[in-house]
Amino acid sequence: MSPAQLRAELKRLIVTELNLKGRDPASIEDDAPLFGTGLGLDSLDALQLAMSIEEQLHVRIPEGEEARVIFGSVRAIADYLARVQAG
Amino acid sequence: MSTRLWVTGLGLVTPLGVGVEATWGRLVRGDRAIRPIQLFDVAGQRVGVAGEVDGVEVPASGWSRTSAMAATAAEEAMRAAGIDVARARVGLVVGGTTGGMFETEQLLARLHAEPECREVLVGMLSHPLTSTGDRLDERLGPFARLRTLSSACSSGANALVVAAGWLLAGEVDAVVAGGSDGLCRLTLSGFNALGALDAEPCRPFDRRRRGTSLGEGAGFLVLERAESARARGVVPIAELAGWALGSEAHHITNPAPDGKVVASLIARAVARAGLSPRDVDYVNAHGTGTPLNEPMEALALAGALGEELARIPVSSSKAQLGHSLGAAGAIEAAITALVVSRRTLVPTAGLEEPDPALGLVHVPQVGRPASRVRAAVSNAFGFGGMDTVLVFADPDRDTEPQRGAMATSLVVTGASVFGSCGLLGTEECGSLVDRHHDPGATVDPDAHLDGMRARRLDRAARLGAVAVERALSDSGGADAPTGLVLASAFGNVDGSAAFMHRIFDKGARSASPAEFPNLVPSSPVGHVSIYLGLCGPAFATADLATSGESAFMQALQLVATGEASRVVAGAVEPRSDIVERVLAALFAHATSQKGTQRSDVAAAVVVETEAEARRRGARIVAHVRQALEWRGRGLPVTDLATPREGRAEVILARADGGAGPLLARTPWSSCPQLVCAQAVGESDGLGAVALAVAAGRIASGRTDQALVLGLARGRGYAVVLGRE
Repeated sequence: MSPAQLRAELKRLIVTELNLKGRDPASIEDDAPLFGTGLGLDSLDALQLAMSIEEQLHVRIPEGEEARVIFGSVRAIADYLARVQAG
Repeated sequence: MSTRLWVTGLGLVTPLGVGVEATWGRLVRGDRAIRPIQLFDVAGQRVGVAGEVDGVEVPASGWSRTSAMAATAAEEAMRAAGIDVARARVGLVVGGTTGGMFETEQLLARLHAEPECREVLVGMLSHPLTSTGDRLDERLGPFARLRTLSSACSSGANALVVAAGWLLAGEVDAVVAGGSDGLCRLTLSGFNALGALDAEPCRPFDRRRRGTSLGEGAGFLVLERAESARARGVVPIAELAGWALGSEAHHITNPAPDGKVVASLIARAVARAGLSPRDVDYVNAHGTGTPLNEPMEALALAGALGEELARIPVSSSKAQLGHSLGAAGAIEAAITALVVSRRTLVPTAGLEEPDPALGLVHVPQVGRPASRVRAAVSNAFGFGGMDTVLVFADPDRDTEPQRGAMATSLVVTGASVFGSCGLLGTEECGSLVDRHHDPGATVDPDAHLDGMRARRLDRAARLGAVAVERALSDSGGADAPTGLVLASAFGNVDGSAAFMHRIFDKGARSASPAEFPNLVPSSPVGHVSIYLGLCGPAFATADLATSGESAFMQALQLVATGEASRVVAGAVEPRSDIVERVLAALFAHATSQKGTQRSDVAAAVVVETEAEARRRGARIVAHVRQALEWRGRGLPVTDLATPREGRAEVILARADGGAGPLLARTPWSSCPQLVCAQAVGESDGLGAVALAVAAGRIASGRTDQALVLGLARGRGYAVVLGRE
């Protein structure tokens, strides 16, 4: 999966898993903050997203402060996944 | 009538021991019961330690561990108080969350493999939340009144609030009230999914705290009016002096960090006790040990108790017992009553490095005697932000509780039904029974909701939000202090099954954190209170096919006792594939099966005091002339009010509910009967529909008065609404 494909897949996951009805995945910007002011997501969403990523993309997101950085934006998540997959 | 309420009996089943003395001794010593779970396999779980009660004997089929623990605790409390159900009117209030989920999980595992197995299907609905009250009624009753409620982790505390209301209204002579909850895979998996559990036994108030520990158990208290207890020559343990409950309307799992709602509840509970912060000598905190709870609770305590907090010891029993969810509020209430009675503070075990940011005075490691405990506060906070504060006091105190007069004139100011009939407002509810609505019609709550704000709401919560919003809109709009009581007979059966099936298939790490909060019986109440911003008292009730009626009775009580000026009562029952399959299995060979199709339904009725409605300038739709509930033998028909002059109707949830013979003995026997099931399909929420229909028929001028009669196995409700 190319980086762009991975980011698109993450956006799809965010919209479906977090039930963001009516939101076009493509409208989520790569660098926009996901939590707080950005997309308006919160800690419960982060947990759901981490579970879905682990299940569907087979990468375990660390818990706690590390997760906060990884979940900064779609690009940050994609970069983390790429790093882990590159091993 | 005296408004002093005494605690005259206690019963405890906890991971530290069975019985009050077994628990108390170890509690004061600082023993901790949190250890690896043995009850079920915890392979794949992030955290597998909890407080477990050893040696729970489940007496027979139809019993769950939750019910067995409840029976042991309730029996101990009744024995200690010396109350006799044959000689006094005794009520029972049971708070809980998981009911018989542990037993149901075993069936779910089998159902997963054999979807059509009749034996498994029939067992699936054997352990609803109400089953604990029913088993206790058989074992320890008959009780004159019975209420089952859930507000997640404040359920046990709210049971005491309901009991206090019954006693203040003079409905009963004594109440056995408390909570019970057994450990189960679903709860463990869910709390693990939320990352809410500490791998070590939890460390409330410690700077290293990383989460809570689960527990299980049961706590029951006997409450009586002081004068009747005194007449029996009973020595009180403590006085239940004050209480307050309300909702944060903030988030389904996280507490509102400012602690303002909790602070106002603590202040209100202390004031209603007739006390001030100067009289408070101890706080038994909710103290879960999660990073978010303690800062919020410390802020709330500081906000309510001010500089007095600097001398008031605060501790959490969860470090020793774990968090027993629906039981915790009652177990900790019993502990707080004992602290007052025995002038001995219980500790926060394992507290080695108190978090300095909290600014609290602690009782680290072991308990200690106190020179005096004049009054003590017990906090309980539930998922969805449903918070309850109790205040216990020395029964020999020379102050009196501050309680307003009971409101006697209650009115309905709005009603709504949402289901296969579409979304009906107050007047339209009156025409609901005039025609048949296809029970299979699509019901689309999303057309009425803000998609982004409603994204966490499951189907039940969505249906409920639409009906409650409409009823409130007809009533003149929502305002913050409004309360909410929503009923459901079986809770989220399909959601629980789907959640467990994922775990069976993919392991515990696949448990959905977002889905878990929707499996709690009070989830629709929490979601709707958050969606609509309702900050009044909120919890769920359950009473099988008369669940809707139980919510209405509960709302009346909350309004009459001044807990809230306005409360929305209703029922939410989405169609359930599993419930339908169970009913099909049960009635496969029965000729009495009416074949009425089940349908999605939510119904809501707004109740308030007449004075509040007049103050707001709201339109009074109907007056509540009479509201009766009973258990066992049946309605004492002589108690039922006679219809006044004018048109009168009887509104029934369903045709085959056994109302005929009962009605025949009442002055309502010749009135026209209207049946809701024939109009909108079968559902366990039909009682709430019937109440909305009655209000709507009066509002639209179709009748002058209506009797709503709701009957189910061993229980009944009668409500008379009238134009005046």
